Amino acid sequence: MTAPPQTRYLAHRLLTYEAAADKASESVESATLRVYEKLRQSLCALAGVAGFQSLAFRALMQAKSEAPDLWAVEIAADGSLQGLGEIEHQLEEFELQLGSGKQQACERGVILISRLLGLLLVFLGEALTISLLRNVWPGASFDDRNSESGRKA
Amino acid sequence: MSTQGKVTIHQLPTGVPGLDEIVGGGLPEFSFNIIAGAPGSGKTTLAHQFVFANATPERPALYFTVLGESAIKMLRYQQQYTFFDPAKLPDSIRFINLSQVVLEQDLGAVLEEITREVEKANPAVVVVDSFRTMVRKPQSDMDLQSFIQRLALFLASWQATTFLIGEYAEDELRDNPIFTVADGLFWLCQTAERNSVVRKLQIIKLRGQDSVPGLHTFRITDAGVQAFSRTFGLSGQRKHLPNEKRLSFGVPELDKMLDGGVREGDSVLIAGSSGTGKSVLATQFISEGIRQGEPGIVAVFEERPQAYAERAASLGLDLETPQKEGKLEILYLRPLDLSVDETMHSILDAVQKIGAKRLVIDSLAGFEMALSPGFRADFRESLYRMIFALTGIGVTILSTVEVDESFTEFPFSTYSISFLTDDIIRLRYVSIDGQLRKIMVVIKMRGGNHAKDIREYEITSKGVVILGKRLTNYQALISGIPVYSDRSVLKDEFSQDTGTEHKT
Repeated sequence: MTAPPQTRYLAHRLLTYEAAADKASESVESATLRVYEKLRQSLCALAGVAGFQSLAFRALMQAKSEAPDLWAVEIAADGSLQGLGEIEHQLEEFELQLGSGKQQACERGVILISRLLGLLLVFLGEALTISLLRNVWPGASFDDRNSESGRKA
Repeated sequence: MSTQGKVTIHQLPTGVPGLDEIVGGGLPEFSFNIIAGAPGSGKTTLAHQFVFANATPERPALYFTVLGESAIKMLRYQQQYTFFDPAKLPDSIRFINLSQVVLEQDLGAVLEEITREVEKANPAVVVVDSFRTMVRKPQSDMDLQSFIQRLALFLASWQATTFLIGEYAEDELRDNPIFTVADGLFWLCQTAERNSVVRKLQIIKLRGQDSVPGLHTFRITDAGVQAFSRTFGLSGQRKHLPNEKRLSFGVPELDKMLDGGVREGDSVLIAGSSGTGKSVLATQFISEGIRQGEPGIVAVFEERPQAYAERAASLGLDLETPQKEGKLEILYLRPLDLSVDETMHSILDAVQKIGAKRLVIDSLAGFEMALSPGFRADFRESLYRMIFALTGIGVTILSTVEVDESFTEFPFSTYSISFLTDDIIRLRYVSIDGQLRKIMVVIKMRGGNHAKDIREYEITSKGVVILGKRLTNYQALISGIPVYSDRSVLKDEFSQDTGTEHKT
């Protein structure tokens, strides 16, 4: 079962936003890792490391059921993500050979982040989740597309 | 000594309906408060209400969560309350989890972390939920008392109003040195009494404030904690000065018996057994008030408002229209787990809403049954507080009470509350000429004249109608089994007797 369109859209927006910022900062980390890390920092402050770690672990389990090639990814004790960079790199290499761009690698990022956001939406609701995202990405816009309540997020 | 130059302690709204009155107007700014109570007593919700009422982006609130309830789950549940405004997060309200520091380090590190966040945010409000869970390690470098002492000093100098939340049993509050440092100590508890749960709060101390002492009931609703002051929020209100205005019952002969009607601001008791017309008379009283431009409230406990209005309609009394016009409220108070304070709150709300001058409580027996069992023991005392408070603001109260019909006694009420009432009207059955007929007598009218006549009445399609003149041909009417006595020879003498009782 895939993540709902609303969370996929939200994850896609964050990854796109971070990818654009990525180019400006010339970061070596992927957009997925950067989004995840920012969420980790914010959520650890809110819920504690253990609280975030358990959420992240659950999100990863869900993501693995959707994308089995994430099998090697793990959540460390501090909640950080381990092994994603390698998998993304392998996928990029493979796609480079095929000449198909970075679609597969990006898709894995969307799956993982959307699962994490999905859990936040379940537990905190749309308003608090968007509020939290706004605080992390003050420059990003989160419009009301696919919004459950239909109001401006 | 002049008050000039003395520091002014500003008061902050608690965000909890009814609590401002209890704490003496509001919570002192920069005070260091402890909310103590058992799990599930409403501590976190109360703190949230204060936070949401006072936090601003300029002076935010920092809400430190420690061990215990997961912050995410706490937010999940708390956002169900109507006071929870998600838009206030995170600019005005920031939640910070300290569990890692507590788990891995000591209280000194926790204090350092709080200090760092406070210095960064310059908050107006700081909450630590729950501070008791911090004490995990017996060998902790700094014990809890020292931690609280230092935290209090630090937060006071940062001009923050602070709440520490802790799970404590009642007996732990006594002589506990931890609490000496606090300016305010709030105790919340909930007790199961028979099948009802009663929540109570007490302001054990609040420095610099004239808080209302004693236990106050509170309820947790969709809107969060709502407190009901023992003084019903009337402590600051101007007392109603007694006047000579008389309020009509809408029953001309009864008004005459009352020397023109009930004195405004009196508490009237109508006592009688089942079917004697207590509720009918009460309905006529409220209906007449509306007719004369005096809005009214009927608190019913034994039937629903619609049924009450329909019964009034059968007597030709329209209670529907005045309800629509905002001149009448029929309150149906949820039975079985009420406190008197809560009932009073509903009545006062209605009094203020429609400017009510008359209140009918139909009946005291129903009222008592609607209360949580724990409050029934104090019913008389509670009734006293309620009547005193309402008549004090000029509301005239008419209560009905059912009494057991006895043919050897003539009781006024089963509650020994006659001293609480200014006026008592007694209705009862009598056996006359093979019929069960009804008589009425004014027993008491404090500060006024009243007739001493015993009058026969009937309940007709127009309500209570008093028949003829007083019953002169019977002796021992109030026994219920009168004896016929031909007094026609004394007719002239009776006709000269006005039958008026003087002031009692």
